[in-house]
Amino acid sequence: MAIALFQRLLQMIFVMFGISALVFLIFFATPGADPAARIAGRNAAQETVEAIRKDFGFDRPLPVQYAIMMKRLFVTQDLTSFVNRGLKVVPQVLSAAPITLSLVFGAAVLWVVGGVAVGVIAAMTRGTFIDRGLMVLALIGVSMPVFWFGEMMNLVSQSRFHDTWLFSWVPGLGYKPFSTDPWSWFKTLIIPWFTLAALYIGIYGRVLRANLVEAYQEDFIRTARAKGLGPMRVMLRHALRTSLIPFVTMFGLDFGVLVGGAALLTEVVFGLNGIGRLTYQALLNLDLPMILATVMYASFFVVVANAVVDMVYVLIDPRVRGV
Amino acid sequence: MMHHRKWTSLKGAGLLAAALLAQTALSSGARAEDRAQLMQEHRGGTMTLSAVSAAGTVDPMINYTAQFWQVFQMTYDGLLKFKQADRKEGFEIVLDLAEALPEPQDDGKTYVFKLRKGIKFSNGKDVTASDVVASFQRIFKINGPTSGSFYNNIVGADKCLKDGATCTLEGGIEGDDAAGTVTFHLVEPDSEFFDKLAVPHATILPADTAAKDLGTEAPPGTGAYVIASYDPNDKMVLKRNPEFKEWSVDAQPDGYPDEIVYRFGMTEEAAINAIQNGQVDWMFDTPPADRLPELGTKYASQVHVNPLAAFWYAPMNTNLAPFDDVRVRQAVNYAIDRDALVGLFGGDVLAQPVCQILPPDFPGHVDNCIYTQDPGPEWSAPDMEKAKELVKESGTAGQKVTVIAEDNATSRAIGTYIQSVLSELGYDATVKAISPNIQFTYIQNTENKVQISVSQWYMDYPAASNFLNVLLSCASFTPGSDSSINIAGYCNKDLDAKMKAAMAQSITDPDGANAEWAKIDTAFMEQAPLAPLFTPKNVDFTSARVGNFIFSNQFRWVISQSWVK
Repeated sequence: MAIALFQRLLQMIFVMFGISALVFLIFFATPGADPAARIAGRNAAQETVEAIRKDFGFDRPLPVQYAIMMKRLFVTQDLTSFVNRGLKVVPQVLSAAPITLSLVFGAAVLWVVGGVAVGVIAAMTRGTFIDRGLMVLALIGVSMPVFWFGEMMNLVSQSRFHDTWLFSWVPGLGYKPFSTDPWSWFKTLIIPWFTLAALYIGIYGRVLRANLVEAYQEDFIRTARAKGLGPMRVMLRHALRTSLIPFVTMFGLDFGVLVGGAALLTEVVFGLNGIGRLTYQALLNLDLPMILATVMYASFFVVVANAVVDMVYVLIDPRVRGV
Repeated sequence: MMHHRKWTSLKGAGLLAAALLAQTALSSGARAEDRAQLMQEHRGGTMTLSAVSAAGTVDPMINYTAQFWQVFQMTYDGLLKFKQADRKEGFEIVLDLAEALPEPQDDGKTYVFKLRKGIKFSNGKDVTASDVVASFQRIFKINGPTSGSFYNNIVGADKCLKDGATCTLEGGIEGDDAAGTVTFHLVEPDSEFFDKLAVPHATILPADTAAKDLGTEAPPGTGAYVIASYDPNDKMVLKRNPEFKEWSVDAQPDGYPDEIVYRFGMTEEAAINAIQNGQVDWMFDTPPADRLPELGTKYASQVHVNPLAAFWYAPMNTNLAPFDDVRVRQAVNYAIDRDALVGLFGGDVLAQPVCQILPPDFPGHVDNCIYTQDPGPEWSAPDMEKAKELVKESGTAGQKVTVIAEDNATSRAIGTYIQSVLSELGYDATVKAISPNIQFTYIQNTENKVQISVSQWYMDYPAASNFLNVLLSCASFTPGSDSSINIAGYCNKDLDAKMKAAMAQSITDPDGANAEWAKIDTAFMEQAPLAPLFTPKNVDFTSARVGNFIFSNQFRWVISQSWVK
């Protein structure tokens, strides 16, 4: 176990190094991105641009600049944004993280429960009207782009029907911290959770149904049935357990990526200033320090999520243990 | 130039009725006599503003955006200030921390300002002459964006530009704390000196303010409000300045709301909904096109449309084929249908066609359009025949031309339109859209070999030179630099000399100088280093509870003079 963890850690460091070097080099290779000119401001005199170039160390060799930036990011942690100057990137990422985590955790609960329910019910009622209805709904969920669905939810709950009994409870967009007001936190997040989860409930439900259907043709299910176990027990203890492997794999990857900032569109639509939106803003403005910080953060979560998935395999599938 | 952020497409806004204009014109500011009573009735409450994103540092000497210059009006003061008043009145320069407007001495090279007494910074310290001196030194110490373009005429500035850290401006500025006077010595007379003292970069800060970009920590100011907290990824909170006593209603009036919260992160769509629901009182960004008809019909009384001193234009690189031939540049000017472009931008209510460099109602502007059918005071229609003839004469047809636009709906649409015009003129034209935040520096650098592009210019202060001299003087062109605002790379020694003369003349004879600027405008247009397209208007959408909306042509909505109670 310790060796596996160590390997993962090494992998993570390697991935992060690669990404940081790539981001750094792309930034300096982009024409029109001369940070000194951008920081100096519009119509700045050449002397001012030069002074800034020196001040920020842009006149030094690239490897030196890279090393300084990494040191300021990880060791002294005083790296500041190029665009919102004075804004320290590490605290900024740390303060945006709870927003993204709140969003993704809540949505994850919804989509795991919803995905399992849809998959199990559809598989148990295979071929019936219920099964087809659920699969059509799931397909609709998968097909709706999240930013469109979110805008529609906003249009309905914030604009067209905001003053009716149905949506008058919906607070204005924006994040309310859990620590100050848990009830408002819940109210502001419930629609974003549902919006983000809709897509995943669709995907997970469909995948799980297919796996369950396949599992029912396996020998161990026939054995379980032959032993005289009830259909519920066969489903939950035997079929579902093995069918969850692809489900968990997908969950791990999706969760890691979402926590790392892929929930961007949901965040933008609902005015939640999380990691995704932070990354997006940084990319728009070519804010190198902020891009580096958010990308590192994202890659960290992807690697960690993968490691966790591997461990969960061992827990749910007895066949993996011996290997 | 103040950077105006994120223009979204305004296509299909025809329904935003012209009636709006009439309505806006009526809502003039409060009269002085009933101000006290209005204050009593409406003072208090919290006003909530919204913008898609924050605009960088809150260091008033560094920030160079229209978005935050608007906020700085109520938080910081200079010796002089643009009057916080409606429309054209907003161009007037009034006394702020200075007690009297100084007479020019020594042929306009020396000015002695006397400070008002009893004004305190929000940290409780008195404003003194030393603070003024230190503030001007600080502009250079922190490499302020305009240190080289606005303040380089102060004696000693050249030394400070070379080495900011040790800047003293020796011989350029002297403060006498006992007498409360500050003396400026200029290298040469400058007709725009007062304008440059009235913009936020010349804010007076306490002498002990750190000589670095303060970033998210706002320094103490003298305005009616202070920036209590600022997080670019969340919000800015403005509270009343406890040390503030109103000394000039024109320069720094007391504000109505007790607190102003400026939120960042909501999309334009979301902000419109929030304003309609009364959760937000105003949005900085332009409302999205698909919501304009709804605003124009259902919320007409909450919409305010006002012209801006700005223009959209297409700079043509005069050093690259085919635009190194004046006939080709003229052909483009003849061929562009400005009405079509106004349509792309949202129609008559949101823009006005232009074919000159100085915007309408701007000092030095005289109606005179040379590139239109039947040249006369105004643009009427494109002259395609004439354009094709000129291209034929030049013998450049068939060459490859790339239009560089910003990657947003409006700029891309305009780029595509220019591409179609160039194709019609016989060129092999393509359009390339680049991220809005890079495009501006990209098109300035000669190494990127940009032939023609789509850009905008918003004035800093009302002076003809802020367009003509900044955009087209030889000094504004630096090959190979990302900071070379003369995008056309045009240098005409003769016109350069005329501009210098006009600037000198305007010190003693502003009207005569403005007549001169009008001639220079025409002279540049004859050489056509750029194609003016249209001048945009500003759309402000406020919540139902906002009263007393005042729009200054200089800094747009005067936030502190509106109430929410």
